[in-house]
Amino acid sequence: MRDEGTSPAAAPATGQETMVGERTSTGPGRPRRLPWRQMNGYYFVGPAILFFLFVSIFPLLRTIQMSLVDVEAGVPSFVGIRHYANLVQDPWFWNSLSNVLTFTVSSVILHISMGMGLALLLNEEWFNTTLRNFMRGLLILPWVFSTASSGLMWTLLYHPFGLLNYMWVGLLGQEAPIEFLAKPGLAMASVVAVNTWKSYPFYMIIILGGLQAIPAEIYEAAKVDGANAWKRFWHVTLPQLRPILIAISTIDIITTVGHVDLIRMLTRGGPLRSTETVAYYIYKTALLDGNLGYGAAVSTLMLIMLAILIILYLRVLSQGDEAGETSF
Amino acid sequence: MKRASDFRFKHGYLIHQIFVVTLTTLSAIVILTPVVWMINAAMRPIKEVLTYPPQLDPSQLTFEYMASLIENELYRGYFVNSSIIALSTLAIVIVLGLLAAYGFSRFKMAGGRIMLLGIMALLMLPTVTLIVPYFRLAHLAGLYDTRLGLIIVNSAFILPICIWLLKGYMDAIPVDLEEAAMIDGCTRLQALQKILVPLAVPGIVGTGTFAFIFAWNEFLLAVTLTDTPDAQPLTIGLAAFFGQFVRDWNSIMALSTITSIPLMIIFVLFQRWVVQGMTSGAVK
Repeated sequence: MRDEGTSPAAAPATGQETMVGERTSTGPGRPRRLPWRQMNGYYFVGPAILFFLFVSIFPLLRTIQMSLVDVEAGVPSFVGIRHYANLVQDPWFWNSLSNVLTFTVSSVILHISMGMGLALLLNEEWFNTTLRNFMRGLLILPWVFSTASSGLMWTLLYHPFGLLNYMWVGLLGQEAPIEFLAKPGLAMASVVAVNTWKSYPFYMIIILGGLQAIPAEIYEAAKVDGANAWKRFWHVTLPQLRPILIAISTIDIITTVGHVDLIRMLTRGGPLRSTETVAYYIYKTALLDGNLGYGAAVSTLMLIMLAILIILYLRVLSQGDEAGETSF
Repeated sequence: MKRASDFRFKHGYLIHQIFVVTLTTLSAIVILTPVVWMINAAMRPIKEVLTYPPQLDPSQLTFEYMASLIENELYRGYFVNSSIIALSTLAIVIVLGLLAAYGFSRFKMAGGRIMLLGIMALLMLPTVTLIVPYFRLAHLAGLYDTRLGLIIVNSAFILPICIWLLKGYMDAIPVDLEEAAMIDGCTRLQALQKILVPLAVPGIVGTGTFAFIFAWNEFLLAVTLTDTPDAQPLTIGLAAFFGQFVRDWNSIMALSTITSIPLMIIFVLFQRWVVQGMTSGAVK
């Protein structure tokens, strides 16, 4: 580990070693083989990397290790892949997997289409820029609230005597209020609606940034060629935004799959476990039921699936050009 | 401009403007309804929250619920915890983030690219996959149910995005300025402190706002690592309040409003830089 690392593969560890070594040895022969400029970089990067090693990487490895261990009567024992074997046969795990698929696919589609629609509006020419910026601020606002607050706001709206049911019963004259969070199926749709409301601003802003970076000349050229607004969107805007869309949908998938707090606030996985996603299942088994080993196994599996998903996704969507590179 | 002279274009421009402004305004109204509703419910006299038709009379509004929450020791405690946790997290991620971003932006290091990719991967790491080891490790390290424990783990999840955003900012600042300062006798740290940091202020403000909002709103780590109101932030207080009482919607919404006020203030103040940071990140 002490060779001063010219091969990139061994580099993170090497960098770490060198840095730690440097700090402790303050002798005259300090900068040994690495040039001065390179050495100094590690001083700056070092604290963050050390922090990550202790607070992110080490726990990450512990997740994997804990998934192979079970605590019985207070004594931890190595159980190998038993948790994983149980997991494959666990119908609630498969239930949570299918739920997270519905949750994620619908959320990502709604986030990006809503973000795109509003970003396009904000990107139009406005007669007054202050008004435009004010509107932009209002439209970002939902992103600022905590999931806990958003969950509560919407629980109030969804209440049998809440605003939405007032419209449904009071204004439309329907007989029974809709139980938004108490009906399987509908509950998932209601959770997706809150998630859309809460998270679209982030994607809207990033898409807006992308839109503003598209050179106006391309649109001018398309106009000269007689392309109407729809064609310009389809043939200019979308292809130009492609790298950004790839990047944000990947980020969105990962964020959405990881949501626990939203479900905790709105439905607690119910009714009939119809909104119990994999992330909520981890939280429930590990923290509420105290089954840490099993929770760790689900976590590990989730990590593996996410990693595969991201790699596949980037491959498929960036085929044939450099788009995959940009998305990093 | 040229366009104004063309009458037909001007006519089209007017319709276009009306269309854009109306559609945006309508969207904003629909989108802000839950927020308005929360604030309204927080200030309605009791029994007027869930009625047909909904009560909106502004003359009836009262600060009673919010005031009684602020006077309540328990909720003040949550507020103090949230503030300590969010501000400390902010300080850690900005200091570590600035240093790391500077290192990545200004030095060619063996393995620099791998480290950056690793940070990118950490950026995508879902919090939930680490709650199991955190729960165990916090007990072992004596950090369970402490604010310090929460500050540390919060920082681990916010630092990657901070490094990323700050590096983007620093890449855009020319190296020449620092080199000139160093030729004039500054050390590297002085150059960072006196040249780069002042130039990167918009980026730091934007990233800091981002980090603060994230830390203030964090829920899952807090629910994993705390057990008593000694260390719990407001988000947990909200959830506990919601679960524990017969639904006293006035007070729940009042607490939710109080929780959101600092965020709204910060956002209004720093919106420009947050947006700038996010959009410039997208272009890269």
